[in-house]
Order: sequence, then structure tokens, then C-alpha cells
Amino acid sequence: MKRTKNLYSYYMIFPALIIYSIFFVVPAIAGFYYSFTDWRLDRLELTFIGWDNFKKIFSDKTLILALQNTAIFAIVTVVGKNVIGLLLAVGLNMRLRTKNLLRAIFYSPSILSILVISILFTPMLRTEGTINQLLEAVGLHSLSQAWLTNPSIVIWTIAIVSIWQSAGFQMAIYLAGLQSISQEYYEAAKIDGASSWRSFFKITLPLLLPAININLMLTLIGGLKVFSEVYVMTGGGPGNASQVVGTIILRSFGEGNWGLGTAVNTLLFVVVTIIAIPLLIFMRRKEVTE
Amino acid sequence: MGYTRKLAIRNYIVEGFLILASLIVLLPLVILILGSFKTSAEVLSFSLHLPDTWQFSNYVRVFQEGGLSRAFLNSIWITGISSIINIVASSAAAFILARRETKLSGTLYMYFFMGLIAPMSIITTIRVVQGLGFYGSITSVILIYAALNTAFSVFLYSGFIKTIPRALDEVAFLEGASVFGVFFRIVTPLILPVNATVAIMVFMSVWNDITIPVYFLTDSSTWTMPLSIYNFYGKYSRDWNLIFANLVLTSLPVFILYLFGQKYIVSGLTAGAVKG
Repeated sequence: MKRTKNLYSYYMIFPALIIYSIFFVVPAIAGFYYSFTDWRLDRLELTFIGWDNFKKIFSDKTLILALQNTAIFAIVTVVGKNVIGLLLAVGLNMRLRTKNLLRAIFYSPSILSILVISILFTPMLRTEGTINQLLEAVGLHSLSQAWLTNPSIVIWTIAIVSIWQSAGFQMAIYLAGLQSISQEYYEAAKIDGASSWRSFFKITLPLLLPAININLMLTLIGGLKVFSEVYVMTGGGPGNASQVVGTIILRSFGEGNWGLGTAVNTLLFVVVTIIAIPLLIFMRRKEVTE
Repeated sequence: MGYTRKLAIRNYIVEGFLILASLIVLLPLVILILGSFKTSAEVLSFSLHLPDTWQFSNYVRVFQEGGLSRAFLNSIWITGISSIINIVASSAAAFILARRETKLSGTLYMYFFMGLIAPMSIITTIRVVQGLGFYGSITSVILIYAALNTAFSVFLYSGFIKTIPRALDEVAFLEGASVFGVFFRIVTPLILPVNATVAIMVFMSVWNDITIPVYFLTDSSTWTMPLSIYNFYGKYSRDWNLIFANLVLTSLPVFILYLFGQKYIVSGLTAGAVKG
């Protein structure tokens, strides 16, 4: 028995290990080092400058705004994608005649590129665009907005477009989770006289935990890494109103401020890891008890 | 009787509500598709009106003026090769990680798993690629995509391979097979459905991505479909009919792939993510 175990030779890991290490891990680790240097495009000699880059990040209004926007985007999309995705999944798990068609419709935007979605929504979100025309047609004049040019709501607009695109993907994962729950639980609950609300909170939600966890992880990490939506729809504007960490990194790269850009990236790395690790540990514990 | 009737009414209400909600998803997509067949004046209303005359020529113009054939081939090449490298390398690695139960394999699993969480460090990756001497090339982008998707693929494969009984391997080993032989002759045929899932997921994410091309493809002859569209969008900002035709063309390959592979997406997600 012990002998067969050792027949699984480690060399089969090498191709994946080498590609992944060179193009992902080495740059990530190097990033930690370069975050503490004054690395610039026009300077060949590096000097170690300690925490200066990080101090600069927290004293620069644009960079702080970018961090705030990233946080707003992540929170709004995590809540929106998961609440809407779960509601759609519960509805489309019922015996409806059109459920297959509706599932396909709700899922369809998530197979498209963020670029396609962002370009499509840009003209529709203008002051005289389709969205405002629709709002006025149904008598909601007061909600009519300059969606992408009003600095105080632009990041919310971009977050809502992102929810529009990917809530259907979350729905698909929740549906897969719902379908793995045995009907026997519900039948037993019905015999005991439990209401649908009670079965939802006492049976569905607990047994859906693995799907909830994976969706929270995906949406949270995706939200913190946001780049393409903002890059295409506003480029960070108007002014700097919709800058996020991802667009700041591109800007620092373009300006040749490589040390600073890498420090922003490192900050993102640390924040994502601090939030994701407890979630992961929770998930693993869940797996053990099952 | 009363109970089932109440359920039926509830289902009708839910169905009606969901159909209304589906319009929110459907309408923008219909506006996009109809717009791609309109004239540049007609499209500006961004409305649901059918085109007066269907302008199929928009598609021809986009292909000629946007230089899309080059971009299309670049995209196919980058997406295809990076998916293949990713599938072969990740499934082989996941096989060993799932079978070996040592501290080292646990550590290596976590090493790969970190890639699911950590964002890539773009500027230092550029330096690494420059150091290796192929910055700006299609090869660099292929290898970066293969690396970026390794974590996700290893995660899906190892979850699935754990459900394949070890006894199958042991019999083959007793017959004198090598670890290579066991992997290709026994495990690979059994994980074909996961290969389909990974292939579709990696293909879609690579095809749709613009972040990596923005940083790594400096020369327009290497641009992918989405990046050349973005350029086109900047240049032709008034011709929304051409822009929409361009967006439809970019979406077509993933849409076709999705039609053929949709059952693998859901079953793969169930096997890897929800049950895993």
C-alpha cells in the first residue's frame, strides 16, 4: 500500500508548477520587495525607501478615493449579485413552464465580455439615453440622472451594470446548490407543518452554505479586482470620481511610477488575502463537518 | 385541493414576475443586436424599433475597416493554446496532488490555491517577461493566461479526481504501468467532462479579457478581438451601428461555445465548486 503511494511521482506537477511560479508567484513576491523602493521608469538604480510609497498612498486624495470606490464597488456588487442571484435561483427552482428559457436569459450576459457590456451601456446611460427615456416613460422623472457623469453616483452606476451582467452567474451556482438538496427534507418539514419561510431559513439556507461561500468568495475577490468596467465606461472619470485600485495601477504604470503602482497592488493583495482567508477557513471547516 | 391551488397561484405570480424581470436583461441585448443592423443615424435612438432596411453591410465594413481578421486569428491562437497548456499541466498536477497524501502535497495544494485569491502583480510580471525577452509577444500572453488559470483548474480537477477510486490506479500499477501511463490511460478518460468544463471556462475568460492585452500587447498586430474593438470604439465613436456589429462579432464565438457546452458549465460547477 505504501509502495503504490510513492509511485505517484512529483515530476508530473512540474509543468504547472513552473509556469505558475514564473508568471504568477515570482512577480507577486517581487512586488512585495519593489513596493518598498523608488522604482521608476527613468531610473536604473533602486533605493530602498521603506514605507514611503504607502505613506504617499494614504496622503493622496485621489488614491484614497480610489480605495473608497473599490470598497463601495465590492460591497455593492457582493450584496447585489448574491441577493438577486439567490432570489432568481429560488424562483427558477420552482415548477414553472418557462423556467429553462428564463434560466438561459438570466445567465446570458455573464458569457459576454465586460468590454461588450460596458460599451453597450455607455450610450444608454447618457443624460438623453435609453435608461432615462424609459424612466420618464413610466413617470419616474425624478430618478432620471446623468448616470456616468455625476461624480457622486458614477461608481454606483458601474456597480449596478456589473450586477446586471453577473447576477445570472451567481444564480447558476445557487441553482446547482439547490438541486443538490434532497427533497426529503422538505417533505419531512411539510409533514411537521413548517411554513415555506421556515423551511427556507431552516433547510434551504443552511444546506446552501457551500454555494453561498463560493459565491461570496467569487464576488468579493472579483469586486476588489475591478478594472475593465471602469476602464471602458469612464476611464476613472469624470475627473477622478470613479478611480479604483485597478485604474490607479494602470495610471502609475503609464506615468512610470512603478514602485508606487506596485505598492498599490501590494495593498490590494494584502486586503484581499485578509478578507478571503477567514472565509476559506470557514469553508474548509464546513467541509469537514459534512 | 386548496393547498395545491394556492401553490399553483403562487407559481403563476412568481413566473409573471420573473418574466418581467427577464426583460431587464433581454432588452439591452435586443437593442444591441437590432442596432448592429441599422444605419448610423437610425441607431442613435438606441431603441427597440426594427431597422428600416437590414444593413448586413455593417458586418462587412467592420471586418474590413477594423482589421478584424488578424485580431480574430490572434484571439483564437492565444485562447486555444493557453487553454490546452492549462488543461494538460493542471490536470497532471492535480492528479498527483489528489493522490499523494503527504505534507508536501498539502503545502503545494495551498500554494496553487493562493492563486485563486491573490491578485496578480502586473508591473512586476511585465519585468519578468521583459527579463525573459519576449515582452509584447503573443507567447508571453499565452503563458500568463495559462498561469493565471492554473489555480482555478487545479482546484476543479483535484476535487473531481478525489472521487475516482484509487483501486483503479493500483491495479494498473500492479500490471506494471508507469504513473504517466496511469494518468493518460485511466484518469484522463474519466475526467473528460471536467476537461470540457475547464476548457469552456478558461476559453471564455481568456477570450473576453482585456486587462492582460492592455498591458502586454503593445503592438497592434498582436491585438485580440476585444482590444481591437476598444480601439475601433475610440475611432468610430459616432458610428454606433458599426460598434454594435463589432460587439456582436466578438461575442459570437463564446456564444456558440456556450450553446454546445452549457451542460458542462453547470455540471462542472456543481462537481467542483458546490460539492467540492
